Amino acid sequence: MTSLTIATDPAGPATRPAPRRVALIRTIRSEFTKIRSVRSTYWTLLALVLASAAWCVAYCLGTVHQWPHMSAQDRSGFDATQDTILGLALLGQLVIVVFGALMITSEYSTGLIRTSLTVMPRRATLYAAKAAVFAAVSLVISFAASFGTFFLGRILLASTHAPMSLSQPGVLRSLIVSALYVEVCGLFAFGVGALVRNTAGALTLAYGFLALLPQLIRALPESLHDALMRWVPGGDALNVMTATLGWPQRLMFSAWGELAVFGGYAAILLAAGAVLFSRRDA
Amino acid sequence: MIEARGLVKRYGAATAVNDLSFTIRPGLVTGFLGPNGAGKTTTMRLILGLDHPSAGTVTVNGKPYAQLPDPMHEVGALLDAGAVHGGRTARHHLLALAQTNGIGRRRVDEVLGLVGLTDVAGQRTKGFSLGMRQRLGIAAALLGDPRNLMFDEPVNGLDPEGILWIRNLMKSLAAEGRTVLVSSHLMSEMEYTADHLLVIGQGRLIADCGLAEFIARGSGQAVKVRTPQPDALARAVAVAGASVSAAEGDGELEIRGLTEDQVSDLAFAHGIRLYHLAATRVSLEHAFMELTADSAEYRAASY
Repeated sequence: MTSLTIATDPAGPATRPAPRRVALIRTIRSEFTKIRSVRSTYWTLLALVLASAAWCVAYCLGTVHQWPHMSAQDRSGFDATQDTILGLALLGQLVIVVFGALMITSEYSTGLIRTSLTVMPRRATLYAAKAAVFAAVSLVISFAASFGTFFLGRILLASTHAPMSLSQPGVLRSLIVSALYVEVCGLFAFGVGALVRNTAGALTLAYGFLALLPQLIRALPESLHDALMRWVPGGDALNVMTATLGWPQRLMFSAWGELAVFGGYAAILLAAGAVLFSRRDA
Repeated sequence: MIEARGLVKRYGAATAVNDLSFTIRPGLVTGFLGPNGAGKTTTMRLILGLDHPSAGTVTVNGKPYAQLPDPMHEVGALLDAGAVHGGRTARHHLLALAQTNGIGRRRVDEVLGLVGLTDVAGQRTKGFSLGMRQRLGIAAALLGDPRNLMFDEPVNGLDPEGILWIRNLMKSLAAEGRTVLVSSHLMSEMEYTADHLLVIGQGRLIADCGLAEFIARGSGQAVKVRTPQPDALARAVAVAGASVSAAEGDGELEIRGLTEDQVSDLAFAHGIRLYHLAATRVSLEHAFMELTADSAEYRAASY
């Protein structure tokens, strides 16, 4: 049996007060240790990259196959960048939502949150550190996926000689906005996770928002639908955000505008989650 | 030092903790005792700032928990050993906790050794037995080398070796001058570990006293004797002002209100022969049942 005596002075080391900033940096370090030490992180991020890449491969190969039969007009209207990047936005949003929600809800399902709050009782600090680590990791991976699929698509579409370069108008914007959209969806789910503190509930709400809401809007009378569609996620919003050739949609905001709308939603949920995280009993 | 003043916690209409005031002192193992649902865990959650009190205050080393600058250096707590992410290794789990308070990897390895988990430090905790989880939880509590330690039902589900280990650990932590609060609904367990008792029932304080005093407050100590002249001894005892009752065996009596020495002197003075004379300690469990039989009847006693 191991010796029980604790070598150090029982009075403990002289407690140096940790200023807010120091506490935040330490907690960010701790949250990074948490995120990198579970397999689900790697599986989720791999799923995001693979889903984006699989979509890119399928669409590019389909286009290459169709290319000889396409009219000159169709060829000039072909948005090669959107073809490669749409999968990241469409599928990536569904994957990142799991990652974002679990960041919070897994602590509640295991009970670890009580230990986390015991070692870091400043709740706003813990919440901010979690959000920051999630944002940083998902930002790296969504940008890697966005630029990665673009260059993968360029290789696959080489035979079409469709113009694909970062210096083309709209291309860089499309890649950046798509990556940020995925990021924003993850933060949205993070906020929902903090509100409901339960994985199944958080995913139901997040998927309901991303996948179900657009369908419901479609069922509304036309005038109402037209007024609302720029405010909801779904195919039109994704088209606006990924297109490089200018998406002729009078009912929508610009790419940056749409991103700002969803960024706004995420900010509201993150803030609501922060308030409840600080106030509720753990 | 942990101090509660007028602590109240209500969940809707239910009152889990009702006007608790106590001081938990360093250098002693304080047993926090009460039947299931008495409010022990809720009280610990209030101490740790996990729940907000409906009324009253609780402080650790004079400060509310949330205002402690580096809480791990002041309080180590084991609330629920199962509260770990099963996919994380023991070492990573402890490292993530340590980093929030600026505690380094060396200390993580040190506490792993202290609780005997060095060999499994790199394994995912989902494969851990209950005993290993308890040890991991205790390792987490010890990370900051804190002056105050709190353990909620630490021996639950442990094998005899594990129970012995925890008992010795708690005693040695208290001997080092630390404040140790350990909750249990197992009275017999407290008999072996606690120096001081904090007893609650239905969220109210029933007793705050030493172990011996608590037992004495029940029906107290009894002396069991066997004699060929039980009637004569019973008369003598009654005259001396103590109570006497017939025990199970033939010629056996149970005497309350006198010590062994007094009973022996009394018998000698009356020329009564004794075959057997022994003090029987009323078990803590027995005393507890008596005192909590009707919680409302009993007022909090001072230290």
